[in-house]
Amino acid sequence: MSGLLIRTMGVVGLVIAAATPAAAQQPVPAGHIKTVAGAAFVVREHGSTPAKPGDAIFATDTLRTAGDGTLGVTLKDDTRLSLGPNSEVKIDRYVYSPGEGGMGMVLKFVRGVAVYVSGRLAKLAPDSIRLEAPSAIVGVRGTTVAIKVGA
Amino acid sequence: MAADWSVGARGSLTLIALLLTAGCGARRASPATPVAPPAPAMIVLLPDPETRVTGRIHVSNEFGGVDLSAPRSSLNARANAALGPVTILSEDEVNRLFGEALAALPPAPKQFVLQFTFESDTLTDESTALIPAILAAVKALPVPEVVIIGHTDTMGDRKSNLALGLRRAMRVRNILVEAGLPASTLDVTSHGEADPLVKTRDNTPEPRNRRVGITVR
Repeated sequence: MSGLLIRTMGVVGLVIAAATPAAAQQPVPAGHIKTVAGAAFVVREHGSTPAKPGDAIFATDTLRTAGDGTLGVTLKDDTRLSLGPNSEVKIDRYVYSPGEGGMGMVLKFVRGVAVYVSGRLAKLAPDSIRLEAPSAIVGVRGTTVAIKVGA
Repeated sequence: MAADWSVGARGSLTLIALLLTAGCGARRASPATPVAPPAPAMIVLLPDPETRVTGRIHVSNEFGGVDLSAPRSSLNARANAALGPVTILSEDEVNRLFGEALAALPPAPKQFVLQFTFESDTLTDESTALIPAILAAVKALPVPEVVIIGHTDTMGDRKSNLALGLRRAMRVRNILVEAGLPASTLDVTSHGEADPLVKTRDNTPEPRNRRVGITVR
């Protein structure tokens, strides 16, 4: 029994030791979910989770809505992005640390309907922003853009 | 033990093979389109939802680029074709196509700027008077975030200005916590000299750039 306890503690210790450097490297959120209606999801490496207002989102996350779903997010630089039903947008790249000199955003509009409202990034580093649709690329200068992908 | 493992491995391989076969079968069933072409897209420039000001975008593909600057100007992009002609959508068309997405946009972030009296820890009277408006903006949101960003002018080097900006932001954080905002909703950061209100050369004293920006969103 005590052997098991010691072994368990050892395992916990190892897990903590292994988790600490990983936690230090944890990326900061790219933004947060602010509005959700119907079925909407965040798709990350290990699967998809239902989106809830207040949830953090990260670079490389995909936002997805079902037929009855809509979703709105605000990113760290005040960029806003919203999806209509049956839609999918991937936050392919997101870096916003003006103090350290790193800035850039690539949003991939995969499917459906979405609206983008520019934030601070479009003012500080407009050339670092790319909105990608399957058959065109959009460069922005402080502005609002609506994109519909598919027939 | 070893036998169990090999059975397990063979099981997995079988599963993968079935999936690949299914994929090949589906592709063989429609020989005319071995790979689906990229989906068409409609791109529309809209006025800012709050200010109603319309910006500018540049749309491009392998055949060239098109600038859009008129409110509700729109173009279609198709695979292997030049970008479509620019048309202007009516407000009704915009609402029909994008109404649900527009309705899902989060509220516009609100910006406040706080300034200190020269070389001190005290806010100017004007800045102190803004605190109730900041608290009200936070209360109005269902999932509020408050971002406090310290800024400096370009006197001194980049690295020490990053630290100075953070000290300024921390002072404002403490003021807001005292005023009743929960510390957990406050995010404190510094942009140093990289994000000035008034653009200047390096090593230029500029009181308007020594400030703390607060975003409520």
